[in-house]
Amino acid sequence: MAPISWHSVDLTLDECIKCNICTSHCPVSAVTDLFPGPKYVGPQAQRFRESGQPRSPDHSVDYCSGCRVCNEVCPTGVRIAELNARARAQIVAEKGLPLRNRLLGRNELLGKLGSLAPALANFGLHNSFSRLVAEKVMGIARKAPLPTWSTSGTFRDWLKRTRDRRLKSNKKVVYFHGCATMYYEPFIGKAAVVVLEHNGYEVIVPEQNCCGLPLLSNGEFDAARNYHRNNVGRLAGYARAGLPIVGTSTSCTLTLKEEAPELLDYHDEPATTLKLGTYDIFEWLRELYEVGELRTDFQPLPLKLPYHAPCQQRAHRIGKPALELMALIPELELAESHARCCGIAGTYGYKVEKYQIAMDVGAELFEFVKAQGQDVRYTACDSETCRWQLEHGTALPSRHPIEILAAAYGLYDLERREVVAGKR
Amino acid sequence: MKRMSTDVLVIGGGSTGAGVAWDAALRGLRVILVEKRDLTHGTTGRYHGLLHSGGRYAVKDPQSAIECIEENRILRRTHAHCIEDTGGFFVVTPEDEGDYPDRFKAACAKVGIPCEEIPLKEAFRREPLLNPRISRVFEVPDGSADSFLATHVTAQAARQAGAQILIYHEVIDLLTEGSDGDRRVVGARVCDVVHGEEVRIDAAITVNAGGAWAGKIAAMAGVPVNVIPGKGVMVAVNHRLVNTVINRCKMPADGDILVPVHTVAIIGTTDERVSDPEMLTIEPWEVDLMLREGDKLVPGLSRSRILRAWAGVRPLYQEGYTGESRDATRALALLDHRQRDGVSGFLTITGGKWTTFRLMAEKTVDKVCEQLGVERPCLTATTPVPGAEQGHYWLGHRLHEVEEARLQGDLICECELVTRAMVEQAVANNPTVTLDDLRRDVRLGMGPCQGGFCTFRAAGILHQLRLHAQEAPPQTEVDGGLPWNVAYLQSPRHSVQAKPAALNPKVSPLDNPNLLLRDFLQERWRGLTPVLWGRQLKQERLNELIYLTIMNVDHLPEDGEASPLTEFWRFDAVAGAKEDGR
Amino acid sequence: MIVDLLVIGAGLAGLIAALRAAEAGLRVKLIAKGMGALYWTPGTIDVLGYLGAEARAVERPWERIDDLPERHPYRIVGARRAQEALDWFRACVAELGLDYGGREDGGNAHTPSPAGAWRPSYLLPAGQRAGDVKDGRPMVIVGFQGMRDFYPHLIARNLEAQGQAARAAVLPWSVLSERRDRNSVQLAEALDEPTTQQRLIDALRLVVKPGERIGLPAILGREAHSQVLTALTQALNAAVFEIATLPPSVPGVRLATALRRSLERRGVRVEIGMEAIGFHAQDGMIEFVETATSARPLKHRAKAFLLATGGVLGGGFDSNPSGRFWETIFDLPLTTPQDRRQWFRPLFLDPQGHPALRGGVAVNDAFQPIDAAGNVVYANLWAAGGLLAHADPIAERSLEGIAIVSAVAAVEAIKAGNMVHV
Repeated sequence: MAPISWHSVDLTLDECIKCNICTSHCPVSAVTDLFPGPKYVGPQAQRFRESGQPRSPDHSVDYCSGCRVCNEVCPTGVRIAELNARARAQIVAEKGLPLRNRLLGRNELLGKLGSLAPALANFGLHNSFSRLVAEKVMGIARKAPLPTWSTSGTFRDWLKRTRDRRLKSNKKVVYFHGCATMYYEPFIGKAAVVVLEHNGYEVIVPEQNCCGLPLLSNGEFDAARNYHRNNVGRLAGYARAGLPIVGTSTSCTLTLKEEAPELLDYHDEPATTLKLGTYDIFEWLRELYEVGELRTDFQPLPLKLPYHAPCQQRAHRIGKPALELMALIPELELAESHARCCGIAGTYGYKVEKYQIAMDVGAELFEFVKAQGQDVRYTACDSETCRWQLEHGTALPSRHPIEILAAAYGLYDLERREVVAGKR
Repeated sequence: MKRMSTDVLVIGGGSTGAGVAWDAALRGLRVILVEKRDLTHGTTGRYHGLLHSGGRYAVKDPQSAIECIEENRILRRTHAHCIEDTGGFFVVTPEDEGDYPDRFKAACAKVGIPCEEIPLKEAFRREPLLNPRISRVFEVPDGSADSFLATHVTAQAARQAGAQILIYHEVIDLLTEGSDGDRRVVGARVCDVVHGEEVRIDAAITVNAGGAWAGKIAAMAGVPVNVIPGKGVMVAVNHRLVNTVINRCKMPADGDILVPVHTVAIIGTTDERVSDPEMLTIEPWEVDLMLREGDKLVPGLSRSRILRAWAGVRPLYQEGYTGESRDATRALALLDHRQRDGVSGFLTITGGKWTTFRLMAEKTVDKVCEQLGVERPCLTATTPVPGAEQGHYWLGHRLHEVEEARLQGDLICECELVTRAMVEQAVANNPTVTLDDLRRDVRLGMGPCQGGFCTFRAAGILHQLRLHAQEAPPQTEVDGGLPWNVAYLQSPRHSVQAKPAALNPKVSPLDNPNLLLRDFLQERWRGLTPVLWGRQLKQERLNELIYLTIMNVDHLPEDGEASPLTEFWRFDAVAGAKEDGR
Repeated sequence: MIVDLLVIGAGLAGLIAALRAAEAGLRVKLIAKGMGALYWTPGTIDVLGYLGAEARAVERPWERIDDLPERHPYRIVGARRAQEALDWFRACVAELGLDYGGREDGGNAHTPSPAGAWRPSYLLPAGQRAGDVKDGRPMVIVGFQGMRDFYPHLIARNLEAQGQAARAAVLPWSVLSERRDRNSVQLAEALDEPTTQQRLIDALRLVVKPGERIGLPAILGREAHSQVLTALTQALNAAVFEIATLPPSVPGVRLATALRRSLERRGVRVEIGMEAIGFHAQDGMIEFVETATSARPLKHRAKAFLLATGGVLGGGFDSNPSGRFWETIFDLPLTTPQDRRQWFRPLFLDPQGHPALRGGVAVNDAFQPIDAAGNVVYANLWAAGGLLAHADPIAERSLEGIAIVSAVAAVEAIKAGNMVHV
């Protein structure tokens, strides 16, 4: 492929040969006419857009969920999802943004606020009256699977509390936990820490921001740029020193690696260093395994486990390392989902006008899980919002593969989502 | 033989001919316009789409510059919807040394072209892909124009004022009376090439607006007109790299202008004197030159996806001139053959440029009136053509209308957002003989896939429409009875609302959909071969897969028949044979 | 995790190679930039339809192989082994529920194209076999109001002009869907639903005359195709056939989906969305291929590599205005003329095709890429499918035949070459 001097994703529209493969795979246009499909809103519409037009020519791009299935199947390399994200940002820049989207874009702020009084916040958010009000006033779907704040403190609280028990080692790894682990699901972070420590690594958890993805997907590029600048400032130094930065949220790591630099045209040296030093945690563990350095002292885990690699994970284009490593666990019977998307797509399915679309998109996945039989106790998925959607759609608890790995190491109670007492 | 008579016979359906017909009809004259193919089939349909501010000629040819800026202001009112108000930059690249920029600025001021030097920062904010080494930028009121639409609506306006527009009517001979020294052109014998019928048209005055073909037409009256056919090659880039017309701030030369028109950006042009206006072969060096020069305006242009290349032939005219075509004047030339050659009843209008077509028509019809001895003022400068109330074209308008009316499922040409209703309206509202005519009407097949998907669809739709028309012929009489409404050709929304006109079975007797398919595929191929590499070649291979593997169109029945477009591919084949023989 | 065979490309050649290798017990991984060309093709297996300037279609492909260029993939393999490969293909896909068959006389079947020409194909899926023009029975071609990719009158007109009795009928769009903006794949999904099937049957009853074969656009179910076909045939007591139209092409999608699922069931990882961007070789052996990820390139190690990226269309080749034509991953030598002026003929539909599109990767008898001197470029690299030199699979109508035959031959050579442990 001849190199192109312009690095903007916009120019990939030129790769499109109109072949319709993306439209045939798009999970959203499959269930609603409100989204005319990736080819149409992406490379096709892009030729009709320019900045400073009298008015934004199109609006249906708002119904792109950003799941990136189109990018995955495109045989010619059009960055359709990114084209759409940038087009949406253009609309936001022109027309402004509803409060609802501003709120959904700021999960870090929400996380922080709720964590001040999590029980109260959970009650405030999760009673049917306030959900009704949220739907009517703000357009946040009443039934959408919103998370609950951790009532046992944040992830950082736990780190502080267990400071003395944390492993010190000359082998070090940096952990990017993301907002969900920090405020809603600290147990994911705990599982990651014990797995990394079990393999002899000291885990460094620097101060960090939200990765900015919710802002990017809601079209607030300026705010996202601030977040990314902060993260680059705080983390690039570690990457420069050769320390891997691993994350359990596939969407956060994708944002640090690719989405923020590409969408924001943010390609300076520190940002690129951070990009090249960031790993999905299983991507990194697989590298350990390939050089024979991953501990494989797994205990049998006699479970039937449907695993769904979420869209944000697949967008890394690294294969399915979580699946490969979980396959090493004795007696664990994995069933790989080939469903395109769970539907939630970050904050897409929270919006009242998109809730049903998200559920219809997810039906393929829910049916796959159902087809695995009655004896399935958990599902597994790497992304937080997808797990919440999976739980909402299947009524089965869902686990991050790192929890599965931690449990197989005997370090973690999969049911209670706690690090096993006495273990590190 | 069918016989018609008129005050004014206009030969040529380009911008000038349509303008003359419009002007003359508005002045109350009886007018017939004949065009051997579709309107804008010649140079008008093969130019880069620039609405000149006059800046390009300010230094070199002030008279042309003044004409341009005055006409620019007029056309923005009369043909508003055919024009996009892009504005234009004259940019100084590192290669454009010397005092030209300052002379340019002074010259613009002198001839009255608004011209302002703008801060570089502002220029790069508006056009981020511009060469960062550009040192000065001047802004002028350039624009871009849809010459297909403009000519079609001008013809519609002429028709509404009483003119008859006969397309696919080729002049076989000019009719003359008298002997040497006192000869008079009294009309023409024309051939209706679609039906193969001859028509005799008697005319008080015949206006030769044949453009690059004007010399050939004049020769039929034994009058020598030395039109200098200057071939210009243009290359279209798949999407708009810029939204402003970008001119190099230097003496006009090859490849120094980049025009955003509709969804593409066009880099132009060369200026090569050729022997024959039909000779439109494009050499690799010409494309390479355009790309190299384009890179100086927008670095990397040569590596972006190139859509297509084509050539047009300028009808330059300079009495007694034998030099290079680049240096020939762009000024219009109105030849009164009574004065010049002793042949009365015959005028030739040539030279000029698209931007000044209305002025050319005005001067021509002034002369017509003078010779007919009538005194009627020109009205075209103050009469908007149908559809002008829509305001200026903007890039997003089709997308906007498709979205508002939710027409995604009806898109036939998905690249250029042409809906089924637009195709049906275009076919019903003006004569359509080939798919290439339809392309000029609605931009069918002009996008990235170059007809890959829509050629088949359009052939299928036209075939169905033809069947329908044959089964239920319309009640109305043929000539003049049917609506001719092309003012809204570009509007997806309007096509939905408009009542579909009945198809005239007599206007388009070409009932062979296989020829529609084959000829249009070949027409697209001609413009593709000069630029087929990389992504456009990949696209073309998909098109091959569609038309060979899936459709097998190279083995359709009735392959041997010919259509009015067939001459082009025969021409290609002959040219290629010559090449093979070398 | 090192595999025995890394297949690059998810078109028919790549899928078939991976399946054949997995069947032989090799550990296989398949990577591809995106979905392959099967999504565009009519799902028929075209072996050889036309020979150069011969206007008439080829009647019996295997009898004409010697008329092809000397290093054409078919001539490398030979007619007997080529036919064996196709027999194996038929058996394979039959297990996957796809019933492919040809004419008993071994000749090409002639089925209507969406333009109404007939296409010469060697094997047809069950859904297209009743469309063989050689059969002679009259046809009714049934379309749907406003369907942009299917024009029954055009098809019927051209069939009639060629002596095949045919007429056109048009059903309301609402028979298929309440939603306007649907492509063929989406319409096929709608017909997976029994209620839609019933609506179609009811509507067809009103237009079909006794003794007519019914030709429909290829939308008769995506997952439930054989059931839809049976339901229509039985309810209408008539032969029913599909005509595959503009991409996306449902019969091709069915074949691609079945092959991919079969691979996954055999434990072959099929990784779509992985673009190969580099490789590393040492001592004439490829060690790994790299694919683009969201950050660093990902290494794929294997003992043997099979390149099936297709030619120009599949992205296997690229070209530029300087006249350079190159293979995109290994920069293998190509037979394509390196001069833009020699690439194309003046007529789009020239029966000889275009020189730029006949060039490709030259291979030895074991389907290993070779240079101009005939030397193997990499000892553990094989090639199959549309990128092979001395063939123009589109002009010849040999796309699927070459894909299957060369993929099988390449895998056999890999097995025979002791490169991998079997």
